[in-house]
Amino acid sequence: MDKKVFIKDTSAGAKDQTRDFYTAFIDQLRQRKLENSVQLIRVADIGVYNQGIVVRITPDDFLYGHVEPKDIPRIIDESVVGGKRIDSLVCHHVSKQFRIVLRNCGVIDPENIDDYIAADGYQALAKVLTEMTPEQVLDEMKKSGLRGRGGAGYPTWMKWKMTRQAQADRKFMICNGDEGDPGAYMDRSVLEGDPHSVIEGMMIAGYVIGASLGYFYIRAEYPLAIDRIQKAIDQARERGLLGEKIFGTSFSFDLDIRLGAGAFVCGEETALIASIEGKRGYPRPRPPFPSVKGLWEKPTCINNVETLANISAILLRGGDWFSAIGTDTSKGTKVFAVTGKVKNSGLVEVPMGTTLSEIVMDISGGTASKKRVKAVQTGGPSGGMIPEDFLNTPVSYETLQKLGSIMGSGGMIVMDENDCMVDIAKFYLRFCVDESCGKCAPCRIGGTQMLNMLEKISDGTGVSDDIPRLKRVSAAMQNASLCGLGQTAPNPVLSSLLYFEDEYRAHIVDKKCPACRCGALFRYAIIQDKCVNCGLCFRNCPAGAILGDKQSGYTIDEDKCTKCGRCFEVCRLNAIFRG
Amino acid sequence: MIKAIINEIPVEVPEGTTILEAARKVQINIPTLCKHPDLTASAACGLCVVKVRKSRKLLRACCTPIEEGMDILTHDPEIVSTRRTVVELILSNHPDDCLTCGRNNNCELQTVAANFGIRTESFHKFVRDIPKDDSTGSIMLEPSKCIKCGRCVEVCQQIQDVWALSFLQRGFHTRIAPAGDIKLNESPCVKCGQCSAHCPTGAIFEQDDTVKVWRALQDPEKYCVVQIAPAVRVAIGEAFGMAPGVNLTRRLYALLRRLGFDAVFDTNFGADVTIMEEASEFVERFVHKKGKLPLITTCCPSWVDFMEKFHPDMIPHFSSCKSPHEIVGVLSKTYYAKEKKIDPEKIVMVSIMPCTAKKYELTRTDEMFASGYQDVDIAITTRELARMIKQAGLDFAHFPEEDADHILGDYTGAGVIFGATGGVMEAALRTAYFLVTEKNLGKVDFMNVRGLKGVKEASIMIDSTKINVAIAHGLANVEYVINRIREAQKKGEPMPYDFIEVMACPGGCIGGGGQPYGVTDEIRLLRSKGLYQDDQEKSLRCSHDNAFVQKLYNEFLGKPLGKRSHELLHTEYKSRPVYSR
Amino acid sequence: MNKMTVEDLKKIKDGRANGKKNWIRVGYSTCGIAAGADEVFATLTEEIKKQNLDVEIKKCGCIGMCYAEPLVEIQTEGLPRVFYGKVDKDTAAKIVEKHIGGKMLLNDRIYQVKLNS
Repeated sequence: MDKKVFIKDTSAGAKDQTRDFYTAFIDQLRQRKLENSVQLIRVADIGVYNQGIVVRITPDDFLYGHVEPKDIPRIIDESVVGGKRIDSLVCHHVSKQFRIVLRNCGVIDPENIDDYIAADGYQALAKVLTEMTPEQVLDEMKKSGLRGRGGAGYPTWMKWKMTRQAQADRKFMICNGDEGDPGAYMDRSVLEGDPHSVIEGMMIAGYVIGASLGYFYIRAEYPLAIDRIQKAIDQARERGLLGEKIFGTSFSFDLDIRLGAGAFVCGEETALIASIEGKRGYPRPRPPFPSVKGLWEKPTCINNVETLANISAILLRGGDWFSAIGTDTSKGTKVFAVTGKVKNSGLVEVPMGTTLSEIVMDISGGTASKKRVKAVQTGGPSGGMIPEDFLNTPVSYETLQKLGSIMGSGGMIVMDENDCMVDIAKFYLRFCVDESCGKCAPCRIGGTQMLNMLEKISDGTGVSDDIPRLKRVSAAMQNASLCGLGQTAPNPVLSSLLYFEDEYRAHIVDKKCPACRCGALFRYAIIQDKCVNCGLCFRNCPAGAILGDKQSGYTIDEDKCTKCGRCFEVCRLNAIFRG
Repeated sequence: MIKAIINEIPVEVPEGTTILEAARKVQINIPTLCKHPDLTASAACGLCVVKVRKSRKLLRACCTPIEEGMDILTHDPEIVSTRRTVVELILSNHPDDCLTCGRNNNCELQTVAANFGIRTESFHKFVRDIPKDDSTGSIMLEPSKCIKCGRCVEVCQQIQDVWALSFLQRGFHTRIAPAGDIKLNESPCVKCGQCSAHCPTGAIFEQDDTVKVWRALQDPEKYCVVQIAPAVRVAIGEAFGMAPGVNLTRRLYALLRRLGFDAVFDTNFGADVTIMEEASEFVERFVHKKGKLPLITTCCPSWVDFMEKFHPDMIPHFSSCKSPHEIVGVLSKTYYAKEKKIDPEKIVMVSIMPCTAKKYELTRTDEMFASGYQDVDIAITTRELARMIKQAGLDFAHFPEEDADHILGDYTGAGVIFGATGGVMEAALRTAYFLVTEKNLGKVDFMNVRGLKGVKEASIMIDSTKINVAIAHGLANVEYVINRIREAQKKGEPMPYDFIEVMACPGGCIGGGGQPYGVTDEIRLLRSKGLYQDDQEKSLRCSHDNAFVQKLYNEFLGKPLGKRSHELLHTEYKSRPVYSR
Repeated sequence: MNKMTVEDLKKIKDGRANGKKNWIRVGYSTCGIAAGADEVFATLTEEIKKQNLDVEIKKCGCIGMCYAEPLVEIQTEGLPRVFYGKVDKDTAAKIVEKHIGGKMLLNDRIYQVKLNS
């Protein structure tokens, strides 16, 4: 059997040693005339981080970390040729990912229903319709402990039960695919990669609550997701999996798609309902809850895409199986969209209880800049910043809330030392101000006032009173806003104030931005002692703000400088001052 | 009944009662700027938040129904501080021109700000410069003063079914305007003014025509005459701290004379004339089968505008008779001018109306110039008159009482009830009975057409003939009535009704868009009660018994529906586009 | 098509159990398409056809490694299952030529090695 050896330098050092190591390794192979029977491959990513040079040997699947060039002969002789594991080199890495929601994403062809069926698709539905009463399904869901993945974490079985109990001639099922948090896109990915799993979840929910019609509410910015859901609906309908008397039972169910016009607030249940009804996407007060009076005044159950993608897996494998995954209060897995300054941005599905550090450092490879992680932002604009000190926190609804953030829909934005917390808070707040529907005064005006204060702070015109004032408006918004958007919009500001108040004070009192992000509060200058007049900065300045020539040297014209930082990046001698 | 506790005081309220309403029952007022008793809670302002034990969040009192055993706290430092900050935020987005604002001293936001004792402005002032919209000539939109409470939108869309106003844009840029950002006069707006009557601030306001009136009064060349609509007399007192429903007719006559009017008339006289024409019209159609049934009343200009825009197929059912104030207007410049030998060109006719749409009606069609001049020159609302009285420094409360001027000032009980929903119907029935039977009714009260029910249906016997009538008020209630007619038409069935009265405003004119602020159903009932009491106390309660009406027909008009009547007292309708742009 | 029965589900599943030994999956979600999966898929299809190889190729969703898109997962008999990341047109051609044709793994382009499958 051919052996393959994969190598990768995973250390955080500036220089990637993979090539040098490769050369050394291949030399050793040649010496043993093994170069034709053993294939040595440099990989771009080996799935393990901060373990020095990592070597993986297949098909034995030996994984060695912190390998030194001196270990090469031993590895070749003992492991590659001898097939024995060298325990002292073993890197104990187990994949921390666990896929339930994403089980089919990237595996099946989403536009082919047979692919889904071959992956146990619609088996759960068949089981539910032919073998289970709605009550039994509820019991199983209760056992599973699944909670809503849209953000609030409401137990799914309770939502179903309340809608089931409501008396009405018609009921509706809605899939909330109005994903809008900056940086979160797991719902899009599931809709695009495994549309039938969501449809199956909808149908099972429809069976339990007593609905015969369901709506997908998907934002119009997701054309591919819409296209794939439509194709999936068409295929399911063609097979009779949607329509009358499914699997020969008395259960009938059909689906339709409604597009959201890109208003963040329409992810809020009551605004979403208003939007489907063709009205302005305004939230309305609750109670009555949608489970009692929802779409067209009828009992309606709204579940998020990720929640629905869990359903068939739970019912196929049992609530107990699901509840064994995760923590005491947060069961199952959660998909996170890890983005920002992280090395490997993408979707990560981990069991609840996995620590932030495992997600950010071990799975996603830490920061791309190899700088320290300053904070991790979870929960999108409704969430908060969690500083480095708390990265060992296991992720669950409760723990994140305790830290002043929320689980939210699963956006996770990693920030390094070059990120200014005032700037980040401003970014999120601006998002909420832009997306506020404008219905209630606390959110509409409060958000604008807070943003104004943050803008002043980052402009260097903030005053000390701004901090208590920010807190006062935040409290009013939390207490008096009508819907979740306004109630949680101050969270990024409050959490950054909680952990990084010093940074605010630096902006306000010292008129300095420690991370050098707020353009008005730092400057670039050429350190003449270090400068060799190479002209690199001069050539690279997009604003023409660097004056001078190779003979007389260079200076930066601060009036013209746009603080883009290009000169700082290109200078090889660290001759550009920033601060 | 549900038992709960508010601030440690036990309360017992019917199911569905909100925390806000329940608190009022135990003498606790929770502030709100968006909730209005007429309207479903929009929950926009955020001022009414309260704490409920065991609830993590603060709840809005305006829209949270009380539940059994709820333990509610309406005031504590955190709640008050939240409310205070919200008020400050609203103020930061509101102009500071209270002194020159139409709602100065009468503004809900001003009151709340005063109650919270806000003395400094903690926040940056963001007031958007949005142009005013005065295109209708009836209602003025000043969106920069809008606090987005949503009352106007709700009343326009849900109560009136007009859908002229809506919110445009979103977030901080949200503003009220007709959909499509067109002008109000290009929109479906029917000028009913309910938006202005419900607005808590000065964002929607009646077009102020008082300056025109003052100018006319000060012009020695002009002969100024005035008339007051029935609904005005039982509401204007509210603007002077008097109870709703107090009948101030004779005091108003005296006041108007003191303001400088040369003659004081009463729209009720016009109402009596309207009844002569309309009841005759009804008898023509009902007894003599000339023209379509059901006959639909047309005293209300907003309803006329609404019908012309949304239900033009109903035009053949419309009474062609003008509204009472237009009748007094045209008669003042013809009949009165002739009698008193005054050059009608010099006559300035001012109507005091509970209504903003009357301003629009003045030039609605060519028939509004039947006298050869504009029949009514200026129409001002009750609110505008109240301001004029205050400007003139007249002590309303202690004013003496006087009578109106003949020959356009005397009225019967039938004329005065025009101001309440069902009143036109009742007045018409009294005279129709006489016209059909040539006998006077023994008992003239038709109780089943009175009251605030949205659609009232009744069958009335005239001798042995049954007349089916319907009364709708609040334009959203019209649809049911009209759909029944259309359905019968489609199926070729007999008409469900013979006679229909429609008033645009809930409660009829007493709830008009130009009436003093703060109207509720309770106040509507008190105002109507004032009118019905006036009717009760009149010795003459049927329009055809009005001696001056008889004189008018004998000496000037001839007979109802006659040639001169037709020229002066009747009008036409045409289909109009819902959107004129 | 007739209404599916529970038995039909099983039939489809069983029918797929012995699928092709050699296949290619191309990440074809928004992230993949944005990164150029379209061109990669076209090149792969074209090259396979040109060389008349017995390989099934299909478009799939996103596996989550969005940073490495366009992502191509390959199963070839005798080789471990690997993901090639940041694949461009040239790499796609090389994948068909060397990986599928020559049974050689490509240096520097592998982003994940899947074992036990």
